[in-house]
Amino acid sequence: MKPAVVWRMCAFIAAAHAAQACTDSSAAQAGTGTQTARSGYSDGGDSLRMLAHDENLPVGFPMSGKPLELRNPYEGDKRAAGIGAQLFIAYNCIDCHGADGAGAMGPTFQDGRWHFGGSAGAVFESIYQGRPDGMPSWGGRITNDQIWMLTAYVRSLATVDLSTENFSGQTIERTGH
Amino acid sequence: MSTPSRRILAAALACAACTGGTKDSSTDSTRATTPAAARTVAGTRIASPHAGPAGEWQMPAGDYSNSRYSELATITPANAPSLHVSWTFSTGVLRGHEGQPLVIANTMYIVTPYPNVAYAIDLAQEGQPLKWKFRPENAQQAVGRACCDVVNRGAAFANGKIFYNLLDGHTVAVDAASGRQVWRTKMGDLARGETITMAPIVVKNKVLVGSSGGEMGVRGWIAALDVATGKQVWRAYNVGPDRDVKVGPKFKTFYAHDRGKDLGQTTWPGDTWKTGGGAVWGWLSYDPELNLVYHGTSNPGPWNQDQRLGDNKWTAAILARDADTGEMVWAVQTSPHDLWDYDAVNENILVDLPIKGRTRKVLVHFDRNGFEYTIDRATGEIILAEPFVPMNWADGIDLSTGRPKARPEKMPAQGKKVTDICPSLEGGKNQQPAAFSPQTGLFYVPTNNLCMDFESRHVAYIAGTPFIGANAPEKGGPGGYRGEFMAWDATTGKKVWGIREPYPVWGGALVTAGGVVFYGTLDGWFKAADARTGKVLWKFKVGSGVVGNPVTYTGPDGKQYVAIYAGIGGDMGLLIAGDVAANLPYDVRQRGTTLPDLSRWTSWGGYLFVFSL
Repeated sequence: MKPAVVWRMCAFIAAAHAAQACTDSSAAQAGTGTQTARSGYSDGGDSLRMLAHDENLPVGFPMSGKPLELRNPYEGDKRAAGIGAQLFIAYNCIDCHGADGAGAMGPTFQDGRWHFGGSAGAVFESIYQGRPDGMPSWGGRITNDQIWMLTAYVRSLATVDLSTENFSGQTIERTGH
Repeated sequence: MSTPSRRILAAALACAACTGGTKDSSTDSTRATTPAAARTVAGTRIASPHAGPAGEWQMPAGDYSNSRYSELATITPANAPSLHVSWTFSTGVLRGHEGQPLVIANTMYIVTPYPNVAYAIDLAQEGQPLKWKFRPENAQQAVGRACCDVVNRGAAFANGKIFYNLLDGHTVAVDAASGRQVWRTKMGDLARGETITMAPIVVKNKVLVGSSGGEMGVRGWIAALDVATGKQVWRAYNVGPDRDVKVGPKFKTFYAHDRGKDLGQTTWPGDTWKTGGGAVWGWLSYDPELNLVYHGTSNPGPWNQDQRLGDNKWTAAILARDADTGEMVWAVQTSPHDLWDYDAVNENILVDLPIKGRTRKVLVHFDRNGFEYTIDRATGEIILAEPFVPMNWADGIDLSTGRPKARPEKMPAQGKKVTDICPSLEGGKNQQPAAFSPQTGLFYVPTNNLCMDFESRHVAYIAGTPFIGANAPEKGGPGGYRGEFMAWDATTGKKVWGIREPYPVWGGALVTAGGVVFYGTLDGWFKAADARTGKVLWKFKVGSGVVGNPVTYTGPDGKQYVAIYAGIGGDMGLLIAGDVAANLPYDVRQRGTTLPDLSRWTSWGGYLFVFSL
């Protein structure tokens, strides 16, 4: 595994465990971890962004230096997304999220709307740590590389705008009373 | 819709069987006030009486027999057209409202879908204020572990307590007067995909509950809890060795191939039984005279049949168990080595019927596989098995063995795509319970008319994730309708009349001594029909699609009321209807292809509607 990935994972663990597990992020050590972890639920974006908000720290605290960000090493890599599509079936994601991510007992990925954030980092987190509505935690059960490939695949599925549904002229024969 | 000539024939048949009445009861306008017992079909009886006073609804199906029949007779075919809304209540939850309220001593008890809030509504005061509401702890994780929406099929009542199941695998007892939790018992393991959605029943101071999760590779069970303490008295698994499934000296089943040692284990390859399904998410019934509890079991896991060659006992089966101990007494496996997700969990209705000159104590079951079974409920002998919906996967049921004669061309295998299998995996009927009237001797059955293609693939068992391994797109069945509400004669295995519907009829039935049958539709109509002729007498467009079951009761003012939930969801809403998928309000989905315009006619809801004259 590349060192950069190790560092990114460390940042992720910091977010999930409120600054207990990571030593190379002073912001997390300073106790903003909890706020950081929650921020991803509300801003719809990258849940680690708040780590960079050094202005929230009391005067005199060491500054973190640069924002932490999870980046997908396979961003834009179609081959990796293709492997992700196979993993999507192999790990039973398909039976929760539907074929082509159309949605089933779990949410769709086709609407381009992300309850826990749609950035690569946020999707990685959703797969890695699970989500409270029943999404299992896959971190440690499959490799981080596989999670990134799944991330690439899942983020590629939103292709149509589903905002409006117009019913005119579209009805099946009604045989009832 | 059936033809007029067919309806006239149906009415004539029904009345030819009437006894006790002095004249043709179908033309007697005063019959609503005559004693119901005098007008039952000869040899016909519901196996056990209505629970409590006729004006209350104390059990999920009104009685232990699952009849959903009420002696209330004020509402009749003559006056039903003047039914109107009396009051409504919002449950505060927008998911699939399967199940039904209970009504006990001028109080109505409602359990919502997840988060499974219980409400006690005071019927004796204007405006129906709450007496209490109970908001249980209920793990949010359960939402994503439930296969088919986060439904709850209702509560049971006994000894001053309300008993019901939580989606996260707990059973709770709540004091009916105060709303305080009396006990709470963990029964299922969410980490392995076990949830609970079914309505319990109380038999001899034991609460009977069963597991959901047939799509998650669970090992299905039914259990009995002490009403006072919540402690488990017995638990019987439906797959595994005889010790676990409680097959022992009492097991005297009818068909030879169902006898043998450890069949719940040896009819599976290796250890596959451990993730073999056989959940108990449907309705329970009980015969006090035989002291037998009847329940169905779900599909085997996974759907991919190549991973579980063998009969896969005791999945997709109807089981009779001793109510005191859980010991199995007989079994009928309606779909041995199920290939089509044909769970056998649909309700078993316990009645006595005149068949070939004899009164038989039977169990009537409308299976997912499209056949209606009339079974001797003491022995497990199949007396009759006839298809009640368009069905093409079998050439019938061999009554000498009880096994279906499956057609090879409709049998899926890995790497083979099978097309146009009818009924679809939703079954000729699903959880929507039928009703029975001793006045007509007929069953009132909400049905589906869907077909499917089936393609299986290898699947790995991963705890807490679906264990399915198949893709099975569904479509409308032959005839241009997707559901039918029908009257059925289980002594002959024949349909008497039918009302065709554009969508599967996913809500249950209620039939009354007034001769009126009630049901709701997915597109949001609540209807009253003449129980003898099938003529629709009245309908009202409620606030959301109906997947619940009507009940009737007498209010404090002496009037007859009929109550129904409106709230689309369940498997229909979630898996087929696309945009009206009920599980996840933040989802925006493609329109479903099976019921392409359903979302035009209804949307999410969570209501109780109450009607009266």
